[in-house]
Formats: sequence, structure tokens, C-alpha cells
Amino acid sequence: MSVIAPKFRLGYFLKGIFDNAFWILTIVTLAGIPAIQIVLFYLELPVIDGELLTAFLAFTWLFNPTMQIPLIKALIYSDLFRIVAFPGFGFAALIAAGTIFVERKMLAKLQLRVGPFYCGKVEGILQLAGDGLKLISKEIIIPAKADKPLFWAAPVLFVGTAAAFVALIPVAPGGWVVADLDVGLLAVFAVIGFFPIITILSAWSANSKFPFIGGIRALHQMVSFEIPLILSLLGVVILTGTLNLSEIVESQSSFPWIIFMPIGAIVFFTTMLAELERIPFDLPEAESEIVAGWLTEFSGMMYGLVQLGSYLKLYAFAALFVIIFLGGWTGPVFWPPLETELITEGIPIPNYAGDPILTVNTPGLPLLDKDPNEWVLQEQGELVYTSGQLLVSGVIWFVLKTVGVIFFILLPRGVFPRIRLDMLLHIGWYKLIGLSFVNIFIALGLVYAGVIGPGGIL
Amino acid sequence: MADALFLAISVLTIGSAIAALEMRSLVYGSIALMGTLGGVAGFYVMLDSPFVAMFQLAVYVGSIAVLILFTVMLVKRELIFKKIEDPKRKFAGIGLMLIVILALGAVIMDSGIKTISTDSDPVDFREIGGDFLTYYWPALILMALILAGSVMGALVLARREDTIENEQ
Repeated sequence: MSVIAPKFRLGYFLKGIFDNAFWILTIVTLAGIPAIQIVLFYLELPVIDGELLTAFLAFTWLFNPTMQIPLIKALIYSDLFRIVAFPGFGFAALIAAGTIFVERKMLAKLQLRVGPFYCGKVEGILQLAGDGLKLISKEIIIPAKADKPLFWAAPVLFVGTAAAFVALIPVAPGGWVVADLDVGLLAVFAVIGFFPIITILSAWSANSKFPFIGGIRALHQMVSFEIPLILSLLGVVILTGTLNLSEIVESQSSFPWIIFMPIGAIVFFTTMLAELERIPFDLPEAESEIVAGWLTEFSGMMYGLVQLGSYLKLYAFAALFVIIFLGGWTGPVFWPPLETELITEGIPIPNYAGDPILTVNTPGLPLLDKDPNEWVLQEQGELVYTSGQLLVSGVIWFVLKTVGVIFFILLPRGVFPRIRLDMLLHIGWYKLIGLSFVNIFIALGLVYAGVIGPGGIL
Repeated sequence: MADALFLAISVLTIGSAIAALEMRSLVYGSIALMGTLGGVAGFYVMLDSPFVAMFQLAVYVGSIAVLILFTVMLVKRELIFKKIEDPKRKFAGIGLMLIVILALGAVIMDSGIKTISTDSDPVDFREIGGDFLTYYWPALILMALILAGSVMGALVLARREDTIENEQ
């Protein structure tokens, strides 16, 4: 009879548990609690309802229903929340995870396969969690003659650069963006420029043939497609006269720029596919030719990090397309138009005799508004919306459009074959650059004809 | 705060410049060069001109440094370079650098830059663009023509007759 643990004794097991508990308690008492206190000492805590939030107050308010909403509101409107959760990393990582799953299922359906099926009872919905666990638990293998510092740094740098790209993307009206730069579009170009460096450095540091070939291919591809990428967005910059991404979105409140710039949109979409190394431009990772291209030597969570970074990049590019050509978060507001008094003063609740005894806030609104006393007036007619309503509606429109663009990015993978390197360079250097100049001339024509742009008809 | 930031960026820029010269490994040297160029971009940000800083990042770190890396990786360094250990040349170089820095510093300090004090806002990049398109447009068009001519010249020089035209 084979047993899993032949020397198992209950006494040893209990002793192990008690030993661990003893050391954990000791270390928490001696190091953990002082560390928490030191962190709390230097942390700048917000002022909520005229009272400085201390750790003691926070724990008290957690169980006080009337103070929970201000507490959560202060959390939502903090910088940390922006960077970590909503318009920043967490939101993008969630969309990226959904993208991975949808991509696998959709490709399978396109090719008459089943796709992930067994993890989780419904359509393999837990496959992603299973893959993540697998990647975390796998051993990280580093090639013997690899350049270790660079090889370790490359996946982290890749995720970091992708997260910096995500941080520039505005998601909802009212400044829901991590870094609202005056030169946002230029910052996007600057961040995109870092990807080829990281790719080529990781490919070189692996000291292996396949990654190096893949890295050189990636370098060719990214450098030659960066130029039409930048040029194809300049038409919109000429029309709007700004580089700030939020202002570019607000300029499209009546119509999206894709109506006037379809050529720019097509060029940008093609260069986007090339920058993301997706089929038909997946030469850097061509798995039928060079194993996995520049990802060949990555294993375990290092590979997971690179995958996470590339899907974050995919989300960021799709969101950039939405922001520049499809109007970002603009769209009809989902909420029913309410009376002004109903929002600003609340709903009066009468007693049996009809006399109002108390007023309550309109449900669902106060949580997302920064300040309940400050209301945002929508422009059309007399309709009044709060900033929370606009936020929810804007995010829904933005996510819908972004998911649509992501779908069109995924679709070619099931349809097209890989193109040759010389055809790729020919497309990049001749056709796309020419088309993007045509796009710029269309924009200039519209401006000088006085149709749109600063001081135009529309 | 600004002083600490300035010191940090200065240390980054100068340190990585020295590293770019002194590193044995060419790839690490070019990474250090990237650090120098990025530090210069940091100076531009501190000088309230993020427009120039972003172009510094996009052009110098994003393109020039990639070209340098690309070239370095295709070169077998053992075959080309022989390291000449010559302390005299090193000290001569350091001395020359000090002389140049002192001379330039003396000239700049003597030019009255210390007496300039202004509270006006930094120049908006839109104004610079407007100036380029209105007052300085002949210079802009001349530069564009020269660049276009040089690109065409490079294309003509790079054209080879013996290759097969690509068949699509």
C-alpha cells in the first residue's frame, strides 16, 4: 500500500501548526504592528465630514451605516484608487483577463472547435483561473548563459510600460484618468517607443537563437509601424487643436471623428495590429517558424507577466482607438431624466396625512458623486444629471465601444494567415505612410475650407 | 522638493553618462546612454516644457537608442575593439572635460543669467507652433525640403539593382 506521507504522525502535524502560529504571532507583535504604526504615522489621511480620519475612526465608521458612504467616497476619490483600481491597472487587467478568455472561445468557435470546456461547469469559465494558478506554480527556468539582470527585468519592465500606457487613458467624464497630461497623445507616443527596447533587450538577454530572431523581427516591425501610427493620429490633432485626450473626447460630443477620418482610422487599426504583434503581423512570435519568438525562453510567471503586459497593451490600444476615432465615453445618457428638485433636494416622503416628514436622496446617486451639493448640468435642454450618473453612463459606453474594438482586433486571428517580412515592411513604409499623409491632407482641407476645426462651421 | 528632484535627476544623468563611457559591456553601455537621455527629458519636465520632454523620450530614447542597441547587438565586439588600458589618456580626458566645463560655466555665469528672474508663465507649445506656422514659415519649409531631399537621397543610395523586385 502506498501512502502519500508515510511518516505522518498527528503529533508532528500539531507541533508544526503550533510552531508556525508561535512564530507568526511573535513576528507580527515585534515587527508587524510597529510597521503598521509607522506607516500610519506618515500616511496622509483624508478629512471626511470635517473630521480627520484616523485608523481608530476608520474602524469605528466601518460599522456605522451613515458614515460608510463618505468613507467609501473618500476611498474612491483618492489617487491610490485611481492608480490601482478603476481607471488604472485593475480595470485594465480585468478587461485583459476577459479578453484572453473570449479570444480562446471565439477562435474555437470560428474554427469549429470547442475551446476551453472542462474547467468550471459552464463553457470552461474557470480556465483562466486554472491557467493563472498553473503559471504561478511553475518553476522559473533561466537559461544558463542568459544575461540575468536584464532577463529578470524584462517582464517587469514590459508590464510597467503597459501600465504606464493604461494610465494615460481617460475612461469617463470628469477627469477619470490617472495622469491627465496636457500633452497626453505625445506621452502615448513616448510610452509606445519603449516597447521595442524592452523586446530587443529581453530577446538579447536570453542568449538563444529563437528569441533573438524574434526580437530582431519585432524591432523591424515596431520601428517601421510607429511612424504611420503617429502620422495617422495627427489628422485628429489638427482638427481638435489639442493633444489632451480628454479634450479630444469632449470635441466629439456631436459626431465621432471616424466620419471624417476613415482613412486615418484604417491606418491606425492596421498599425495597432502590428504593434500588438497579432495575426496577420505576428512575425515576432511566429510559433510555426521560431517556437514562440522572443517569448521562447520565458517560463512560469515571467511568461504570465509578459502575457499580462501584452493584453494590457491591447486594451490600451483599443481604448486609444475609441478615444480618438469613436468618441470615447460620449453617448446617450442611460438614466431617465429626473426633475431638478428631485436630484438637488431629494425625494420627499409624506406621512399618512400627506405632510412631508423626511426627504431622502435619490437612490444610487450619492455614492458616485464627489460632492452631493455640486451638480453637473447636461447641455441639452433642461435635463439635469449628477456627475455620478454621467460617470456610470460614460463608463458603460466606453466599455461597450472598447469591447467592440477588441473584438475586431481578435477577429483576424481566426481568418488571416501570417504575412511575409518583406510584405510587412512594404505595407508599413509605402502604403500606410502614404495613406496617413492622405489623411493629414484631408484634415488640412477640412480646416482650410472652414468646415470643422477651430472656428469652423460644425 | 524641487531641489531634491533636481539632484536626483542630475545624479541619474551624469552617473549614467559616466557608466555609458566606462561599462565594458556595450549593451549595458547603451542602456546607460538611455538613462542619460531620459534624465535630460526629466530636466525638460522640470523646466515646464513637457512638450519637449515627450519628444525627447519619443525620439531619443524610443528611436535613437533603439538604433544604437540594434547596431551594438549585430556587432561582435571582440573582433573590433581592443581595450587599451592607458591611465594617461584617461586623466588627460578628465582634465580636458574639466577645462571645458569650467570655461563654459564661466561664460554662462558671466552672461548675466543669474540676474534674470521672472514669474511669467512658461511658454505654451501652441504659441511656439503658431510662431512656426506664421512668422518662421520659410525656415520650416526649408527644413522640410532639406529633410525630404536627404531621405530621397538615402533611398536612391540604398536602392539596389540586383535584387528581385518583390512579387506580391
